[in-house]
Amino acid sequence: MEILAVKNLNFAYPCCVGKAVEDVSFSVKKGEFIALCGATGSGKSTLLRLLKRELQPLGELSGEVLLGGKNVNRLSVRDSAGKIGFVMQRPEQQIVTDKVWHELAFGLENLGTPKNEMRRRIAEISEYFGISGWFEKGVDELSGGQKQLLNLAAVMVMQPELLILDEPTAQLDPIAASDFIATLQKLNRELGLTIIIAEHRLEDVIPICDRMMVMDKGRLRLCLPPREAAQRLNEYPELLKSMPASVRIYNALDKRDEECPLTIREGSDFICRNFGNSVKCLADAPKAERGEAALEFENVWFRYGRNLPDVLKGTNFTACAGEIFCLLGGNGSGKSTLLKNASGIARAYSGSIKVFGKKIEKYKENSLYKECLAFLPQDVQAVFLKNTVREELAEVGGEERIPAELFAQLQQKNIFDSHPYDLSGGEQQLVAFAKVLAAKPRILLLDEPTKGLDARTKQELSSMLKKLKNNGVAVVVVTHDVEFAAETADRCAMFFRGEIISADSPEEFFACNNFYSTAANRMTRGHYEKAVTVEQAVELCRANGERSGR
Amino acid sequence: MKTLDNSNPIAAAVYFICAAGVAMFSRDPIIIALSLAGAVTLCILQKGGGHLFFAALFVLGTAVNPLFNHRGSRVLFVLNNNPVTAEALLYGALSSAMVVAAIYWFKCFSTIMTSDKLLYIFGSAMPKLSLIISMALRYVPLFTRQAKTVSAAQKTMGIYKEENIIDSIKAKIRVFSVMVTWTLENGIITADSMEARGYSAGRRSFFAIYKFTSKDVFLLAASLLLAGAALLLTSVGDSAAVFEFFPTAAMLPPESWGVKIWAAYISYGILAMLPSALELEEVVRWKYLQSKI
Repeated sequence: MEILAVKNLNFAYPCCVGKAVEDVSFSVKKGEFIALCGATGSGKSTLLRLLKRELQPLGELSGEVLLGGKNVNRLSVRDSAGKIGFVMQRPEQQIVTDKVWHELAFGLENLGTPKNEMRRRIAEISEYFGISGWFEKGVDELSGGQKQLLNLAAVMVMQPELLILDEPTAQLDPIAASDFIATLQKLNRELGLTIIIAEHRLEDVIPICDRMMVMDKGRLRLCLPPREAAQRLNEYPELLKSMPASVRIYNALDKRDEECPLTIREGSDFICRNFGNSVKCLADAPKAERGEAALEFENVWFRYGRNLPDVLKGTNFTACAGEIFCLLGGNGSGKSTLLKNASGIARAYSGSIKVFGKKIEKYKENSLYKECLAFLPQDVQAVFLKNTVREELAEVGGEERIPAELFAQLQQKNIFDSHPYDLSGGEQQLVAFAKVLAAKPRILLLDEPTKGLDARTKQELSSMLKKLKNNGVAVVVVTHDVEFAAETADRCAMFFRGEIISADSPEEFFACNNFYSTAANRMTRGHYEKAVTVEQAVELCRANGERSGR
Repeated sequence: MKTLDNSNPIAAAVYFICAAGVAMFSRDPIIIALSLAGAVTLCILQKGGGHLFFAALFVLGTAVNPLFNHRGSRVLFVLNNNPVTAEALLYGALSSAMVVAAIYWFKCFSTIMTSDKLLYIFGSAMPKLSLIISMALRYVPLFTRQAKTVSAAQKTMGIYKEENIIDSIKAKIRVFSVMVTWTLENGIITADSMEARGYSAGRRSFFAIYKFTSKDVFLLAASLLLAGAALLLTSVGDSAAVFEFFPTAAMLPPESWGVKIWAAYISYGILAMLPSALELEEVVRWKYLQSKI
C-alpha cells in the first residue's frame, strides 16, 4: 500500500539562483525503510522539510506531496502534526521542556489528548524505548544519545504513520549512533513503521534499508534497493566515500559478476572467496623520526570537585612535534577532560603537564596561547563571535595570518558574507579551523573534529592535519572515529578509566584490537594482517590477485 | 495513608499553608510551641540539618528584645540605665520561637516541594504559563553551559591579554552578545520542533505525573478543617485572655481555660504533628511487615 507519493516536486528558495529541489517524483510503500543520501547541499534537507507542512521553507513550490492519497497541505492541523513525525539533527535544541516526562507529554498536550490516554501512551512509549529509568530526570542530565532517543520517543508517542529523520546521528558518537539506528530498525520491523532517513554516516543504515535514494544537485538520481544502487556508485565518488567499507572495497575492486556485500560478514566472505592470501601484509611504512617532545603528561591526576571522583588517574603520554596523536576511547572516559587540562582551561591537582619542556603553569598572561598552543572545542560554534565570516577572520588578523591554502579554500566556497551560524557543519569547521590556525600554534588540540562532517570534509580535514604535521606542528586529536584515526594518525592511543592503556602506530594498534577497530580491519582479520584502512585492504587484494578455478 | 512527600502537591501545599499560617498569625504561646515542635520533628524525620544555627537564632532573638523593649514590671537587672524585664525576655522568646518555627516550616516545604511539584500547582491553573516556566528552566542550564564553552574557546584562541580588568570585561561583553545570537538561532530549531509536534493545533491539555487520590482529599480536608477549627476556637474562646505579657506576665490556670480553648489546642496539635505521625507510621508499618516475612 502506498503511503507517500511525491509528484514532480520543484522548489526554489527566494533570491537563490537555481532550484533546490528539481523535478523529484517517488513513492513510498507502507513499512518501507528508505535511506536518502547525497553530499552536503544536494537538497536532502529541503526535500525532507517539504514533506511536512509545518517545516516547509518559504519559496516557490510546485508539484504535490500526497500522504495516504491526500495533499499534505490540505491535511487538518492535527493530522499533519500527528501523522508525520520529524526528528532533526541537533538533539539539544529540539527538546522543549525541562523534564523527560514533560517532553514525552508535550506533543500529546498540544493535540489536547485526554489525561488517561496520555498516561497510557506515555507509559507504553517509555517502556518500549527503555526510558523508564530516567523518566523523572531533568533533560540537561542526559547524554547526547539519550537526548536524541528522547526526541524520537517524543515524536513516536504521537503515533505517526511516517517517520522522517534528517541526519539524526550527526551529533552523536558512533556507539550512540548505532544504538539509535538499531532502535529505528526495531520500530520498522516490529511496528511496520515507514521511515525515511537522511544520513552522512551510512555504515549502519545501508545494510538495513529497503531502498536507497541518491540525490545530487537537487535531483533524485537513484532510487533502488541498496545492493543494486551500491553497484552503480562509481558514478558518485563523493557518495562512495561515505559508504560502508565493504561497498567501497567492492567498488574499488570492480568485480561486477558478484553481488555487492553490505555488511562486515558479507564483505569478509567476499574477500575470502575471491582473493588469495599469499601476500599477508603490506610492507611497513618507514617510521618517521619523532621530533622534540611538545606536550608531556606525567602522572596527571584531575577531578572536577573535591568530593567528585578522579577523571584522570595518573595519565602519562608524550606528543611530539611533527606527529598526529589520536586518543580514542568510550564516552565519558575523560578524553575531553584531558584536553581541557592540556589547554590550561582546567588545572590538574597532581602531576605535571609540560609544554615544550616548560610547565604549563609557568606560561603567564595567556602567553600559552600566543603562537604556542591552540584548542578547537567540540562545538565549533563556540569559536564564533561576529556577524560574518569576514569579520571573524579579520578579528584574528585576516589573510596574512591564515595559511594561504586554507584561505583560498574558504574563498572558493564564497561564504565570506554569510553569518557563521548559517554555514553547513563542514564549512563551520573550516572557518573555525582558520580562526584557530591564525594564532600560529605549534601544538593543536582538537576535540572530536569529525563530528557531523560528511566524508569529503573529513578527508579535507585529514589532509590539512597532515600538512600541519609536516610543518612541525604537534596535533593531538581526541576522537571516536576509528576510521578517521586509522587514516590520519601517526600514533593512536586508547584511553580507559583515566589512563592511557596503549599507544602505537595505527596499523599495530588496530591490528591488535579485536572489537575497537576499523571495519576494513575486522573484515580482513585472519585473511590478511595489518590491513586497517579500505585502501590497504584493496591494495592487498590486488597484490594477491583473484583466485582462479572458481 | 501516604506521607507528605508522596501526596499530591496541591494537598501538600495546602497543608503547609495551614500549619504555618495559623502559627504565623497567632500570639498564643501554646500554638507557637506546638507549631515549633511539629516543624522540628518533621525536619528531623526528613534528615534536615542546621539545628544549631536555628537554636542560635532563637537565643539571639530572645536576647535582643529586652534591649529595646523596656515594658513589664519584673526588672531583672539594669543595663546602661535601662531596665531589663522578665516580660520583655519572655515576649522575645515567644516572637523568636514563632520566627524559627516559620523558617522550619519553609525548610520542610522546600525539601518536599521540588520544582516539578510547584510547576504542577501553577500548571493546573495556567497551562501556558507552566509551559513557559518549564521552557525557561530548560533553557537556563543550556545557556550557562554554552557561555562557559564559548568563553573557554575564546581564551584558548589567544585573542585576549586579560591582564587588565577592562580587557576581561570587554571579553565578557563579546561573549554575552554572541550568546544572544546563539539563543535566537537555537530558538528557531526549538520553534520548529514545537511546531512539528502540533503546538499550534489548538486547545492544549495538561499532563501531570501526580494523581489526586482519596487520601489526598483526606489530607486536604483535614488540613482545612483543623486549621479552621484552631483559628475559630481561639478567637471564640478568647485565648488572648489566657496569656498576658504586659504589664505583668500572667497565665490563667489550665482548669479555667474552657473547652473551646482546649479544643483549639488539640486540633492545632494534631495538625502540626500530622506529617510526622504519617512518616513514623510508615516506618513502623515497614518494620512490622518485614518482621512478618
